[in-house]
Amino acid sequence: MKKTSTRRDFVLKSASALAGSFIVPYIVPASSLGLGGQTPPGDRLVMGVIGTGSQGMSDMRDFMRLKDQVRFVALCDVDAKRLASAKDAVDKTNRSKDCRTYSDYREFMEKEKLDAVLIALPDHWHGIIYTEAAKKKWDVYGEKPICRTINDGKVIVKAVKDNGIIWQTGSWQRSQANFRKGAELVLNGRIGKVKYIEVGLPDGGRGIGTPPVQEVPEELDWDMWLGPALKVPYRGVCHWNWRWILDYSGGQLTDWAGHHIDIANWGTGLEYTGPVEIEGKGVYPVDGIYNAPVEYDILCKYANGIEMRVANSSRLPKGMGTCWYGDLGWLHVDRGNRISASDPKILQEEIGENEIRLYKSDNHYQNFVDSVRSRKQAIAPIEPAYRAISVGLLGEISMTTGQKIKWDPDKEEIIDNPVASRLLIRPYRKPWTLPTV
Amino acid sequence: MKRIIYFITFAALLILIAAGCRKNVQYKALIVTGQNTIDWQTSSTLLKQILEESGLFKAVIVNSPESGGNMNSFDPEFGKYDLVVLNYSGDQWSEKTKQDFAGYVNNGGGVVVYHAASSAFPGWKEYEEICGLTGWGGRTEQTGPYIYYNRAGRMVVDSTPGTAGWSGKVRDFEIRMRNPEHPVAKGLSVRWMHPGDVQFARLRGTPQNIEILATAFCDTTGGGTGRDEPVLMTIRYGKGRVFHTTLGFPSGEENIALKCAGFITTLQRGAEWAVSGTVTQVVPPDFPSAAAVSVRTNLKIRTLDENIEGLENYEIGKSTRFYSGIQEEIRRAAGDKEKLLEIEKKLSGLLDKPSVTNEAKKLILRELSWFGTELSVPSIKKLQSVPELKDEADFALERMGIN
Repeated sequence: MKKTSTRRDFVLKSASALAGSFIVPYIVPASSLGLGGQTPPGDRLVMGVIGTGSQGMSDMRDFMRLKDQVRFVALCDVDAKRLASAKDAVDKTNRSKDCRTYSDYREFMEKEKLDAVLIALPDHWHGIIYTEAAKKKWDVYGEKPICRTINDGKVIVKAVKDNGIIWQTGSWQRSQANFRKGAELVLNGRIGKVKYIEVGLPDGGRGIGTPPVQEVPEELDWDMWLGPALKVPYRGVCHWNWRWILDYSGGQLTDWAGHHIDIANWGTGLEYTGPVEIEGKGVYPVDGIYNAPVEYDILCKYANGIEMRVANSSRLPKGMGTCWYGDLGWLHVDRGNRISASDPKILQEEIGENEIRLYKSDNHYQNFVDSVRSRKQAIAPIEPAYRAISVGLLGEISMTTGQKIKWDPDKEEIIDNPVASRLLIRPYRKPWTLPTV
Repeated sequence: MKRIIYFITFAALLILIAAGCRKNVQYKALIVTGQNTIDWQTSSTLLKQILEESGLFKAVIVNSPESGGNMNSFDPEFGKYDLVVLNYSGDQWSEKTKQDFAGYVNNGGGVVVYHAASSAFPGWKEYEEICGLTGWGGRTEQTGPYIYYNRAGRMVVDSTPGTAGWSGKVRDFEIRMRNPEHPVAKGLSVRWMHPGDVQFARLRGTPQNIEILATAFCDTTGGGTGRDEPVLMTIRYGKGRVFHTTLGFPSGEENIALKCAGFITTLQRGAEWAVSGTVTQVVPPDFPSAAAVSVRTNLKIRTLDENIEGLENYEIGKSTRFYSGIQEEIRRAAGDKEKLLEIEKKLSGLLDKPSVTNEAKKLILRELSWFGTELSVPSIKKLQSVPELKDEADFALERMGIN
């Protein structure tokens, strides 16, 4: 196999080839190299993808839309069909057939030399692959929720920090103007002191009953797809719909925690801590292979007295999105550029020079590329992502045990409840283990 | 003499304690039927069983004369009952009976309006007020506006002229609770699937005294309205309280709409609210959600032992309802060590039993992994040597912190 080349290699090689007479800056004007209006390949991030399913493809296309800033050189998926169609898309953009494909991430990691990797996998694989990618010192664009268990999350966060990589979580709402504006207004006291937050996430949908065992499609490596999860026969549930099964996901609650809970925390300065008390009730399907809760209602208390209710949107007066309630009013944000407030004047307020300004990004993918280049933190770093999903995961533990959970956000431990504490971990099926960091 | 008094006091106490141990039948219910556009015999029998299954009601069925019979002879003593369940749509009652019934409600009597009863007595104004929403029988805008919800979730009072009452074909549909804080709805799923029923639409009434508790979307593909039509509601009439369910069509052999755990629960809770203004019944563990329907073939909630027994033969492709039922019991035990130990004993008993399927054991091992105690450890360890169960046994022991 042809040895791969990365941007870093290129920079070094170019520099030596030009004998120091020409230092290649980060962005070389295309005209200076006479490449017909294109950015020279050496200035593009050399990226790979692990997980080329619907979310992976969608992210990949967004990166490819950043004109000539990213070049995908290697793809990995356990589904050969998906891998082939992802390669097609990349080849078209690259105008070359060089993009390499892998069915086993271990081979991918061993052979590839990358600047960064896009990882979009089912949650039960995040612990191993995010950690391994960080240990390779690849910068990572990783999909939310960043972990299936709190234990996985702790290890991922440590791996990202210890290895000094740039991390961007796929919590793209942070790069949308309405969410940033809402969070900034709330942070600067425009609705007074925040006392209560409501976070509405989607309701669970209809199940599919209890399908029989089916033949595994030829293109799918089912055992590898399961990986560290318990072995179960193939029953037609795999791509996308894994998120309704507790072995792989916590349902809509954990799927969306990384979005609206993250925004709630962002606007309240709770990004680097967690609740101290969590009490939730769930509605679980009474039958069927899908077993994640379809309704949930969780109340969290923070050490500073703020309460946050996280529930399926049908239960909440404002439905989907994040609504902060302060002693002077409320402010609500949701997808579709929605922003509203108890008094519309609140939304006209300007943020003064000496007030808190939030990190500004208008394109989540561009922000990652810029951060990789500048080595400055991206807009959605690892710990806030971990703190946001922790709320969902602790809620899940409270719903499973039927108990109020006391949590120490500094030690990241459940207090005085060894039984509930067991749910912080999902043991891995052998031979898989969570990497040590 | 003193001794006798002590004895009597003691005996009375015993009786009181014994009565306290199980739910007390507190209310008398009268199911009024005898004529209807639906199978009134079957539905009345089921309604009686459902009410009595709650442990709160003792129900009596009274049949009117057949259609064309002498309605003057139909003169139920409504006042002797706490609840009147209307499963009637047929010949007009006598004026006296009508007045008695309206008076009964006005004076604080409880009422359940069931399904096709909303088509009864066109022209009887008090009855229409008691039902809240009615239709058919030549009713038009004279009865009041259409009342429904729009897709944005807001109640619409629509004065468009036109006929009243429409019913769809038998199908499964989703119920959407609109007032989850009402005592009847509190704690129930906000969205739940309801099987094999006939939906009503285009009902008319006066909105002032009606509180809509739930709606269901009326699909246009079957010629429906494309609106979210009321299916559960409460009405205040004088001092009386009325619970009106449009659900529960007796479709034939299985009568699945009446055996839906959602129909049963809302009827039992609605009936209790109608007689007392409060609901003391706990949310049953098999209440449906948007994910799947939940049917009680014998109208009873499965016990833990029935779930344990049902789980024994679990194979992939079969219903997981027994397992889900046990999981719900574990959640409800909420750290109650004794209750959890009782469940654990039964589950680890299944692990020891050779006749129990491996698929059932796999599910049990997942559950014991987090709430099991040392009691289960020997049984789990034994399964480490069964190749098909080794992964799950390892999973359980690792989570329990046992090497």
